[in-house]
Amino acid sequence: MKRIIFNNPTAQRIYDDYISRVNRCVSILSADDQRELLMEFNSHIYEATHNAAPENEVDILMDTLDKLGAPEIVLQPTVAHKKVQQAVRSFNPKHVVEAIYLNIFNGVGYFIWGLIYLLVLAFGSLAIIKLIAPEHTGFFLKDGHYFVFGYTSDLPSGATEVLGNWFIITVIALMSIFYFLNTLLFRLLKGK
Amino acid sequence: MYYICCMNNEFVQNWFSQVKKGTLSYIILIILDEKEYYGYELVQEIKIHTTLEVAEGTLYPLLNRLKTEGIVDSKWIEQESGIPRKYYTLSKEGRETLTEMKKIWSALGTAIQKIQK
Repeated sequence: MKRIIFNNPTAQRIYDDYISRVNRCVSILSADDQRELLMEFNSHIYEATHNAAPENEVDILMDTLDKLGAPEIVLQPTVAHKKVQQAVRSFNPKHVVEAIYLNIFNGVGYFIWGLIYLLVLAFGSLAIIKLIAPEHTGFFLKDGHYFVFGYTSDLPSGATEVLGNWFIITVIALMSIFYFLNTLLFRLLKGK
Repeated sequence: MYYICCMNNEFVQNWFSQVKKGTLSYIILIILDEKEYYGYELVQEIKIHTTLEVAEGTLYPLLNRLKTEGIVDSKWIEQESGIPRKYYTLSKEGRETLTEMKKIWSALGTAIQKIQK
């Protein structure tokens, strides 16, 4: 992004400081989204100030930035929204956690979305753990009653695993169902 | 006089703020229906055609949202200054959306006129 050059050094410092704040606010986003938002704000500032006489630069710039608003407030909804899009696209845990953090105030919807996402990860992990520790992973019954579904290091005597290798198929099926539910929930939240 | 001194100013301001928030996207679509505009130019156009004091910073999140919804398209156009402008246009879906919004707005206006009589 091309930096705007002001004749007045005070105006230059004010502009540089504002752009640094915008930079900090969008730093959590993908490189493309960062560039897009920075360029958008930069373009607005340039269009509003480029005809100003040097003696009026500070006043006009201050007025422009005042009307644009504090980047920390103005950019918050956009950053939060773009972060969710990035998280859904990549399903990268880092982006998911950041998206949940940024959207925590958007209601319980994203909280539930985060919980379901954790369930998806948990079921996926169980499929792998079943291959590593098959004796301790599965659907265990004791005396005909449900005992544990998942992994346990402390198996009491008499507990039997009933699913065998079907456990892997079951957790993959559960993972797919919850993934589907999360996609639906995300679409609902997006449409709010 | 009695009306003015007893008017709930805070309530009216909050209501007006909600009306502004609700109509801004409609105003943007009407303006973009004429031709493409870049962000700053769009703000000026809104000021010329309405008496609304638009918080300029809120315009870009709204334009971003309209783009995500597929209602507007945007493209960067390089300028001699080296600082490009981002031009916004109505998409095909945006034009259809605007036609529907105009119908709703017109019906709402008619209904309010009837009630006010």
